Amino acid sequence: MMNWLTCMLVIGMTGAVFFWVPPAEGLGSLVRIAYFHIPMAWVSVLAFLVSAYYASCYLRSRELRYDIRSAISARLGILFCFLATVSGAVFAKLTWGTYWNWDPRQTTIFLLLLIYGAYLVLRISVRQDRERAKLSAVYALLAFVTVPFLVFVVPRTFPTLHPEPVLNASGKMEMEPVMVTILLAAVAVSTLVYWRILLHLEKKANASVTKHADCMKEENV
Amino acid sequence: MKKRHGISLLLITAFAVFSVFSFQKSLTPYVSLAQARESGMNVQVKGILVDKQVQGLADNKGIAFRLRDAAGEEVQVLYPGTKPDNMEHAQEVVVIGRYAERCFQADKLLVKCPSKYERQGKGASS
Repeated sequence: MMNWLTCMLVIGMTGAVFFWVPPAEGLGSLVRIAYFHIPMAWVSVLAFLVSAYYASCYLRSRELRYDIRSAISARLGILFCFLATVSGAVFAKLTWGTYWNWDPRQTTIFLLLLIYGAYLVLRISVRQDRERAKLSAVYALLAFVTVPFLVFVVPRTFPTLHPEPVLNASGKMEMEPVMVTILLAAVAVSTLVYWRILLHLEKKANASVTKHADCMKEENV
Repeated sequence: MKKRHGISLLLITAFAVFSVFSFQKSLTPYVSLAQARESGMNVQVKGILVDKQVQGLADNKGIAFRLRDAAGEEVQVLYPGTKPDNMEHAQEVVVIGRYAERCFQADKLLVKCPSKYERQGKGASS
């Protein structure tokens, strides 16, 4: 039921972005890329936050189900971060004139991909469940410490070609009301998509863990 | 146990903050005109288009304009390509190239659009 609703919302959202969002001054229809790029970036940060949260849950309780959630969320975070990077590069080509010029925003998102890429490598390299969970949890927490810096602080410290963030220093929203509404809706729908994927992957992971446990039991008999 | 973890966390955070500060220069590719002149290497300079004036060069050789960087220094820029459409309306311009003699030879030109997400035809506010 929820999956159907999510699909409908995604389709509806896409329609809204293409038909309701008015072309922007200067950017024209290119502004629609922002409706993909911005939600991807926000959800990525959220996913990393969720990953850090469940990592701390694991470290406190040592229950593997928290580790599973933390790992899935981190992987989704990387996926959304990658989508934000690629959509950003396309946006850059169309508005600045080049895909990549190591603008501070681009450098920081690249660093973020590297930091969480190392998380993936860490998970693959440790075989033992509990050891892997402990190391991943610690790393997920440390990695998340860098996120506010890289996403919010550093890009505002250096001059950049990237447009001013919607949550900017002057506190003013320099955006048409209808555009803001649809953007917030896009962020909400993307969050829902992320959460549904997380729950689905968690179910799959738990199913395989149970299967593995059953096999082990049978062997012992 | 808790204390040991706390100290490690503190050390790691301190190291991270220290790294960010020492890598500051690598975090931004943009340099000032003075630095561009000194280094003589291929650099990126960010600045504004002086008087919003762009001249086309004869024989389709490209365009010329004056760039003023954040420090207030100005330079004549020569760019052999075509003028980007929205150049006069750009908030800032980035030139990528070398500082040669008395002018800047740009290989690439980037523009920063104003960050206003307003409906088209609303009438550009100054």
